[in-house]
Amino acid sequence: MSFNEKSAWVMFIVLLIPTGLYFSSVYYLSAALGYLIEPSVPKLIMYTIILVVLSIVGQTLIALSSPKDANAGSDERDKIIETKAGHWSGYVLGFGAVTGLIHYLAFNQGSMLFYIIFGSLIISQLIEYLMQIMLYRRGY
Amino acid sequence: MAKLLPIDNNVKELRERHNNMTQGQLGELVGVTRQTVAAIEQRRYSPSLETAFRIAREFGVGLDDVFTWQGQN
Repeated sequence: MSFNEKSAWVMFIVLLIPTGLYFSSVYYLSAALGYLIEPSVPKLIMYTIILVVLSIVGQTLIALSSPKDANAGSDERDKIIETKAGHWSGYVLGFGAVTGLIHYLAFNQGSMLFYIIFGSLIISQLIEYLMQIMLYRRGY
Repeated sequence: MAKLLPIDNNVKELRERHNNMTQGQLGELVGVTRQTVAAIEQRRYSPSLETAFRIAREFGVGLDDVFTWQGQN
């Protein structure tokens, strides 16, 4: 397994953890209060810190397990895979952004616009990592 | 299940004939990773024309001696 494929696996799992925590807390708080809570800056800062720390730990562990591969950098295959995966994740992000904007025009809910755009950003990133893994495994 | 790409190759055989060169060594010589050489050998990746020429040059043979088209069309 190439370093970039390991990295995609790590980032996919790492991204799921703080995202799951963040959106579950938004869901349960909103359900308890009976309305959609506004995005909170402290929560987002905490989300970012957890994401950065887990990413550093994960990337360090895989780099230590195969230092030669980590230092090799990306070659032509890695760059094509990154481009293809980014292409598909861009569609997901675009679809989410348009959905959020239409929702805002229809219901005028700024908080929901934020969550739709934020969620789309995360989902598009997850799709990008999954596409990378699939392209490394299946070939193209 | 990995799909087989239409370009077949003799990279593995040529490596073995050249002092059992490893995938990593060939990768270093032509500027790709060991995993990419493995993917080429398993027909999971078709290299760029430049890399294909570099591989052929390392083995001292022509492009046709390394890569062959095995597609339907």
